[in-house]
Amino acid sequence: MHLITGGAYQGKTEYAVEHFGIKSEDIFTCTEDGKIDFGKGCVRGIEQYVLACVRAGKDPGAVFESTRDWEDAVLICRDISCGIVPLDPVLREWREAVGRLLAILSRQAESVTRMFCGLPQKLK
Amino acid sequence: MIAFISGGCKNGKSTYAQNLAKSLCKTGKLCYVATMIPHDEEDDRRIARHLKEREGWGFETVEQGTDIDGCVDRLGSGATVLLDSVTALLSNEMFGPDGTFRPDAGIKTAQQLRSLCLAVDNIVLVSDYLYSDAQIYDEYTEAYRRGLAHVDRELAKLSDTVMEVCFGNIIFHRGELTI
Repeated sequence: MHLITGGAYQGKTEYAVEHFGIKSEDIFTCTEDGKIDFGKGCVRGIEQYVLACVRAGKDPGAVFESTRDWEDAVLICRDISCGIVPLDPVLREWREAVGRLLAILSRQAESVTRMFCGLPQKLK
Repeated sequence: MIAFISGGCKNGKSTYAQNLAKSLCKTGKLCYVATMIPHDEEDDRRIARHLKEREGWGFETVEQGTDIDGCVDRLGSGATVLLDSVTALLSNEMFGPDGTFRPDAGIKTAQQLRSLCLAVDNIVLVSDYLYSDAQIYDEYTEAYRRGLAHVDRELAKLSDTVMEVCFGNIIFHRGELTI
């Protein structure tokens, strides 16, 4: 599994397309509906999946334990760990849940890349 | 040399940028392009503080709050320029004093900055990395964030060196240099 992270609009998806040769139709984009599907080989917006889980009172890490389908995938998740601690308890939980999940995924990833202003920084 | 600097607030970006601009300036003028348009007394005080902080550095201040490439003639040829900050410039371009909102201001701003970069000998550009917080913003703030990211990425593409300042330490994302 290859993990791509970084802030909003930093070029994470573009990097996945260019570097891993992923076609745009092979990218599953998570939304607030709480669905996730690793079948296409690339999943982006994992932070949105986590937000949906937090809102539904579900553990966002559970899906990564119940299936190993993500093991050969390229996973894209925004880093939301910086900035002010949100007043809204849901966003507070979201921030921490994304952080915890990224730490778990980082450990299991073959490579970890952080995007900064469109430039990749190899973390692992 | 085109140098792009970003990072979190109060990490030492401006100080590093001033040092870098000064060291890049061998011949020609050393100019500070001031992008802030004062709206009240608080802004006036902030500008006075910034002017005092730059005293003795040898910067000539050139004011240009919008249409940034409009200052090219005043800079003259062979200038070394410090532009601090891209963030303030985009804010002026996106949110007019009369309440106008231009959601796609980032596209024009990136083009005009490109013209400026190509017209001078050296330029050091300072932006702000505000993309990693856990907030859900209103459409205006989100458009601004998206616009600034567009400008940042266009400038990063153009730059010889791209740096992230982290508590006074420099992470080189492209083109390592020493000053």
